[in-house]
Amino acid sequence: MSHAEPVVVAPGPAPAPAGAPLDPPSPQRGATGRLVRSELRLVFGRRRNQVLLAGLAMVPLLIGLMIWLTQDTSTRGEGPGFIGRVSQNGLFLVVAALFLCLPFLLPLTVGIASGDSLAGEANAGTLRYLLVVPVARARLLAVKALGALAFVAAAVLAIAVVGLIVGAALFGVHDIALISGGSVPIGNSVLRVAGIVLYVGVSMTGLVAVGLFFSTLTEVPIGAMAATVVTAVVSAVLDTLPALASIHPYLLTHHWLDFAEFLRIAPDSHVLWTGVGVQAAWVAVFGALAWSRFTTADVSS
Amino acid sequence: MTGLPTGVRGSAPGTPPEGSSVPGAAAPGTGTSAARTTTTATAIRPAAEPAVGGTSAIRTSGLTKRFRSGQVAVDHLDLEVPRGAVFGFLGPNGSGKTTTIRMLLGLVRPTSGQAWLLGEPMPDAAAGVLPRVGALVEGPAFQPYLSGRANLHRLEAVDATADPRTAADRIDAALDRVGLTAAGSKKYRQYSLGMKQRLGLAAAMLRPRELLLLDEPTNGLDPQGTREVRHLIRELSAAGTTVLVSSHLLAEIEQVCTHVGIMSRGRLVLSGARSELTDSRTTRATVTTTATDAPAAARVLTGLGLSDVSVTGDRVDGLLGEVPPDRVSAALVGADVPLLGLDVRRPSLEQVFVELTGEGFDVAR
Amino acid sequence: MPVAVGAVVVAGFAAAPLLADAGSAGLPDITAQQLVTKVLEAKPVPMSGTVVYTARLGLPDISSLGAVSGTVSPADPINLLSGSSTLRMWTDGAGRSRVSLLGATSEYSVVHDTTQAWTYSSKQDAVTHYTLSAADAAKLKAEQQKHAQTPVPGASELPTPSQAADQALSQAQQYSTVTLDSQTTVAGRGAYQLVVTPKTSGTLVAHIVVTVDAATSTPLRVQVWSTDNAKAPALEVGFTDVSFAKPSDAVLSFSAPPGAKVTEKTIALPQHTDATKPTPSPTAGALPQNVTVSGTGWASVVEVRGVKVSALLSGNAAAAAAAARNLPHPPTAQGQDVVSQFMGGDGTDPSKSGSGLSASTLYDGLTKAVPGGRLLSSALVSVLILDDGRVLAGAVPGTTLQQLAG
Repeated sequence: MSHAEPVVVAPGPAPAPAGAPLDPPSPQRGATGRLVRSELRLVFGRRRNQVLLAGLAMVPLLIGLMIWLTQDTSTRGEGPGFIGRVSQNGLFLVVAALFLCLPFLLPLTVGIASGDSLAGEANAGTLRYLLVVPVARARLLAVKALGALAFVAAAVLAIAVVGLIVGAALFGVHDIALISGGSVPIGNSVLRVAGIVLYVGVSMTGLVAVGLFFSTLTEVPIGAMAATVVTAVVSAVLDTLPALASIHPYLLTHHWLDFAEFLRIAPDSHVLWTGVGVQAAWVAVFGALAWSRFTTADVSS
Repeated sequence: MTGLPTGVRGSAPGTPPEGSSVPGAAAPGTGTSAARTTTTATAIRPAAEPAVGGTSAIRTSGLTKRFRSGQVAVDHLDLEVPRGAVFGFLGPNGSGKTTTIRMLLGLVRPTSGQAWLLGEPMPDAAAGVLPRVGALVEGPAFQPYLSGRANLHRLEAVDATADPRTAADRIDAALDRVGLTAAGSKKYRQYSLGMKQRLGLAAAMLRPRELLLLDEPTNGLDPQGTREVRHLIRELSAAGTTVLVSSHLLAEIEQVCTHVGIMSRGRLVLSGARSELTDSRTTRATVTTTATDAPAAARVLTGLGLSDVSVTGDRVDGLLGEVPPDRVSAALVGADVPLLGLDVRRPSLEQVFVELTGEGFDVAR
Repeated sequence: MPVAVGAVVVAGFAAAPLLADAGSAGLPDITAQQLVTKVLEAKPVPMSGTVVYTARLGLPDISSLGAVSGTVSPADPINLLSGSSTLRMWTDGAGRSRVSLLGATSEYSVVHDTTQAWTYSSKQDAVTHYTLSAADAAKLKAEQQKHAQTPVPGASELPTPSQAADQALSQAQQYSTVTLDSQTTVAGRGAYQLVVTPKTSGTLVAHIVVTVDAATSTPLRVQVWSTDNAKAPALEVGFTDVSFAKPSDAVLSFSAPPGAKVTEKTIALPQHTDATKPTPSPTAGALPQNVTVSGTGWASVVEVRGVKVSALLSGNAAAAAAAARNLPHPPTAQGQDVVSQFMGGDGTDPSKSGSGLSASTLYDGLTKAVPGGRLLSSALVSVLILDDGRVLAGAVPGTTLQQLAG
């Protein structure tokens, strides 16, 4: 006998008869919708997230005000990329704000949204209660991914919408000047800026998947958030090392700046789709890793 | 087989005692006598293959969890909780109760062995079973920045099988049942420990359940709260719900249990109907007579079938076993032994535990 | 599951080039002479596409120099000296074209419309408009005919193509062997490969491979292989995708973006900005007095006397301009533009060079000290700048130049 056998005393007086077994539960209609809405309420109802969105919305406001206040001593032709053009055209405030948020603030937002998604629930202990409700783990993972994506989309939109409003108010909306020279009519201009916003949003999806994966690894949300941001930073650093040129096209951040394609005279859809494809590949790989990890992990928090 | 006093272990290993019940053969829920055995039938659970999940509310077979650190939290656990029982799942902190509950709920994957809830294998049947199971696992946990009610709404929204039309009513009812109606719209982070515990109970009772797994439900509650929880458990049980309630404080829940399982170091060291555990195993009779009559009294007791009979001056002490106390006095009188006093002591579960393991109950590993 | 997804993803990325490579077989056999004839016969066609230009010249990394002294935008012509650049080009085959050097968020565009051209740098938001006077336009025509001897796609005033092919081949065969390599695929199109191998071993050039589209006889890729590196070409410029549809008018026209700084320039010796047009060979035409050429063919070395490098680097605009005039100018507008970038944009602000790099930083970074001067040695070209004002350059090893200099 390798272990002590439990000593068993069989039940004594019969317990009170249990009530008739309940009907086997069947899913209600609209269950997925309720789950998604609940997750969105949770994400957007959270004070921290609201503050984060407000902070991101401040970026175009601050840039706009700064340029507006200093436009007499013109910074035209100076400074990075699109900033110098903002004073000529409010539409460029959208582009300039996204451009400035791209290296760090947006990855940070992604890190907070996706890194917190499961690790936050695990940390609060609520993950175990969600799972015993029950909700299938893959389903919960999908909803968490959706919540993080929605938040990141909201962050990009917040920057864009505030940028548009502030830019229009301070500098007006005109035909945009292309980086190839020339300009395009206003309708086309708005479409191109919308394309930039969309592309930047899509560019974040790979990092969302990475963050989601990190989030399945730990019960410490701040760790998953930090790892996500670090991933983006490391990817950006690797992208500058000439020795690694052969892997550059596959790096998470390599195609982020390709939104500039919308500002060229003939946007090359191949370039844009390549960027989307690389994001899709990261989503597939890290989504699968997250799924594999989360559906088998012990929940001991 | 260490740590088990011979007198308690009963019949020798491998010898099927007369009248022993085969696990899974009982038909709980119907209240048949299949589960009844005599004390002498104290069974070494045969290492039989579990036929099916059976009709037990909870059943495990060889359930083992070895963590990556190598620590064995649960070691070949064979547990059976009949339907309708209030099962006290007892043991000191760190004895494997919570890990067992996590495995039952599909949160933790067993290293080996199987578990069934309401006759369905876990975790495979989680989607079908868990809606009928309410659980409180290792203390309550909710989103701190949501109100109690909003937290329940969230759990409700997550439940694909719950009827959204009745959600609000059921949430109100659950809050009312644990006395949180007034505090329902307060943020969870402002709750006291007791209120948090109540909200956890409310979440477990959001919809009608066949089975409740309550892990340390009295943690953080004041004596009044503890009494309320006990009352609640009785109520639920009376309504037909099977309840498994774990605690490291025996005394708090001992009284409400119909059945008891005691864990120590990942193993189930004792399990059965509470009345029998405490009645038959360690109830001692102490006869006070004269010093000269003591040896005669000892012979009478031994003849009656008492075990572990000892003489100390004018007192004779022995384990009653199945012998009714009134037969002791009758036999002594019949044998002309002067009976100056008869003291029958039913030990508490805690004493049983200490006798079984040689350890204090509150010892954490 | 993650393994399976990983495999699918890798397969997806691996399959793209495989698909692009399909269909290289099955072109009719052809001789080198027939190929050259076809190229010369071919009419310039409208086309557009993405060109990737890669230089592995073994020069120090210019972007790292830029990191020290300032920012070099990826869309800066200086970057053509090393690393990889992506260009997009459109041409209607009739004198209008646009070439854009792409930076991540910037662009350097050269738009050419028969008698005028624009360059636009988005980084500096600056337009330079080059125009020709009528007299210059006539001169341009004469110039074109002079260069027509070399096989240039797009040159239209030629004797019969097969004659020209004979001429070109025999000229080339004086110093080289011309052969055909196996058929290949470039930018998804079946193509022939013409290989020109120098007969001399005194040059750094191992061989040159020109890949020609089988259908249109348009060169799609040129590789220059160095004797230093047998694994990868030292210079490679080729299409990664190409289309022979007519580009839209919008792409071929240029208008200054609102707010851009516009500089008007009338060019003294105007030339096509067409990138496919090579610089004239050293033997062509009369040489300035201070220039001599020694050696023949691939091993030729050009020697220029009286170059004041220190003045060029001084940052003094007048001295630099004077010194620059003494240099044999790269006779193309693009070459001039590169020079003017080094010289400080439009020449009015010498403290700030157009490239964001100070000229002396660049000079020190690219050259190394040798007895009597400084040597720039790359995989294909060596330049020896001597303290006595002589500059020797050629597609030969640096030691050859030092021996020649004595």
